[in-house]
Amino acid sequence: MVVLDNVEKTYRTRSGIVRALRDINLHIEKGRFIVICGPSGSGKTTLLMVIAAMLRPTRGTVCVEQNDLYKMSIRDRARFRAGNIGFIFQMFHLIPYLNVIENVTFAGGVVGESKNTAKARDLLKQLGLTERVFHKPAQLSAGEKQRVAIARAMFNRPKIILADEPTGNLDPENAASVIGYLSEFHRGRGTVILATHQLQAQKFADRVIHLCDGSIDKHS
Amino acid sequence: MNRFITFVLLGKFMKTLGFIFKEIRHRKTNFLFSLLTVAAAVALFISFFTAGKASQRETARLTLSMGFNVHIVSKDININDFLLTGLTDRTMPEQYLEKLASQQAISYNHLLASLQKKIPWRGFEVILTGLSGEICPSDSKKSPISYQIQPGNLYVGYRVAQTLGLKDGDTVEIKGKVLRIAKCLSESGGADDIRIQCHLRDAQDILKLPGQISEIRAVDCLCFAPTDDPAEVLRKEIGSLLPQTQVFHTQSIGLARAKTRQMVRNLFAVIMPLVVIACGVWIGVLAIMNVRDRQQEIGIMLALGYSSGQITSLFLGKAVVIGLLGAAIGFLAGTALAMIFGPEIFKITAKTMIKPEPSLLVISLIFAPLFAAVSSFIPAMIAVTYDPAITLREE
Repeated sequence: MVVLDNVEKTYRTRSGIVRALRDINLHIEKGRFIVICGPSGSGKTTLLMVIAAMLRPTRGTVCVEQNDLYKMSIRDRARFRAGNIGFIFQMFHLIPYLNVIENVTFAGGVVGESKNTAKARDLLKQLGLTERVFHKPAQLSAGEKQRVAIARAMFNRPKIILADEPTGNLDPENAASVIGYLSEFHRGRGTVILATHQLQAQKFADRVIHLCDGSIDKHS
Repeated sequence: MNRFITFVLLGKFMKTLGFIFKEIRHRKTNFLFSLLTVAAAVALFISFFTAGKASQRETARLTLSMGFNVHIVSKDININDFLLTGLTDRTMPEQYLEKLASQQAISYNHLLASLQKKIPWRGFEVILTGLSGEICPSDSKKSPISYQIQPGNLYVGYRVAQTLGLKDGDTVEIKGKVLRIAKCLSESGGADDIRIQCHLRDAQDILKLPGQISEIRAVDCLCFAPTDDPAEVLRKEIGSLLPQTQVFHTQSIGLARAKTRQMVRNLFAVIMPLVVIACGVWIGVLAIMNVRDRQQEIGIMLALGYSSGQITSLFLGKAVVIGLLGAAIGFLAGTALAMIFGPEIFKITAKTMIKPEPSLLVISLIFAPLFAAVSSFIPAMIAVTYDPAITLREE
């Protein structure tokens, strides 16, 4: 369960203070598929980062699985993140000098799972990447990179997957495939919070949150 | 339990090292530039240090050739005559030399007793000079700076040899004493051209002054503090030991010698820190470039729960690897540079002074990684303070 209470995030910039999130109150039940929509700069990524225990809000509290994230020490927060939250990004963010299986097991480094290559191979098999296990990211197509990123996100069996525009760089076929994998994770009782522009993802959503200028505009 | 902890720590270390080497293979250019910088810094240090020692020794040898700058003579001499001619009209006991040499507290580098007098010889007025063997402090391995003349031999000044038609190997007689000309000296343009030099014993026989010397010459040891007046220190030291003598200190020679050596030392004292600082800044810049290249990688590591310490260890670990390799390469390159170019520059001392110094390899292997890690510390700190929320959404 994810609970945000009066969350606000402001940045100081040279041109003044930017209010990226304004008075966000959100209650996400376990096992839901949430889609966050909104134009660029509306605060989608900031909201995901705040939920992910990576960006301390200026005000308000964020609880995930009944843990007040920003009351934890940095070390505990990092361990909590590693064990409970998986990330998928638009730009994949694979580590360029590690091969596919190393990129996947890299996620297990913090929770002592980095040597579990069998689990990584199993995941890669499910994602159709058996033939690519020892390839470097530079040798993969965009769709393959994103599937590696999904495998990495799922490696620690997280309770929540946060996906920030994961289909933004993919063709429709690969985009559909990625949404399909997220949907599958959701069917297995995982919580998915997906920030996207794409309307087609909304059909999988239990709930769509519209963000505009850092505020929740409308719930559906 | 301890073995288990050691095993786990070793595993983590090997894993970190594995990541470092994979990253190095991936970003070869950055690595090569960093390695070259450290190797260049170490090579400069090694070559400067190795050649620097030779340079200081060379300078010492060259300035030594300026001659003796301390003269100890009898208290009763006519000072005006001595200053005018460099000759004394009084002698003193030869034992003074041994007495002086046996003292540990005297600040000297070379001691030499001489007996000299102007005498007529074959219708020509010459300065007969008898020289004792040169004495150096027992703990030093200094080479003599004066002629070491064997008994029975004679060194003849240029003008004397030219005027009298003398040549090496001739046998001559001086006041009944037969001597062999071991060397006809080249032109000096000074009093040495009208000097004939022999062993002190021979001069004492010729002049019928057994056990007597005219003066003791010395080179001060340059160990004085900047505030000391060498002449005063020597007068105090020698005056209390040999009260029947007086000391003349040729300040121009002493000063020139001291200043030349000081200049060489200062030069190295300024250049070395500058080289080290410049290399440190350059490594830091390369480390910052590396951090900028790896912003998103750092962001994803933070997102995956890796701690700041683990991320810092990757950057500092890489710096240590670069430092170790750079030290080894730099040592080889620096030693090679010093050994190739040193003998061209330092012609007198190079053969004995310029050689590989294993202790410098040890020093380099300790300090170069430390130096590289310190230079990379700020970039590593920058790395872990990047806001992953910003770096991870950058396209």
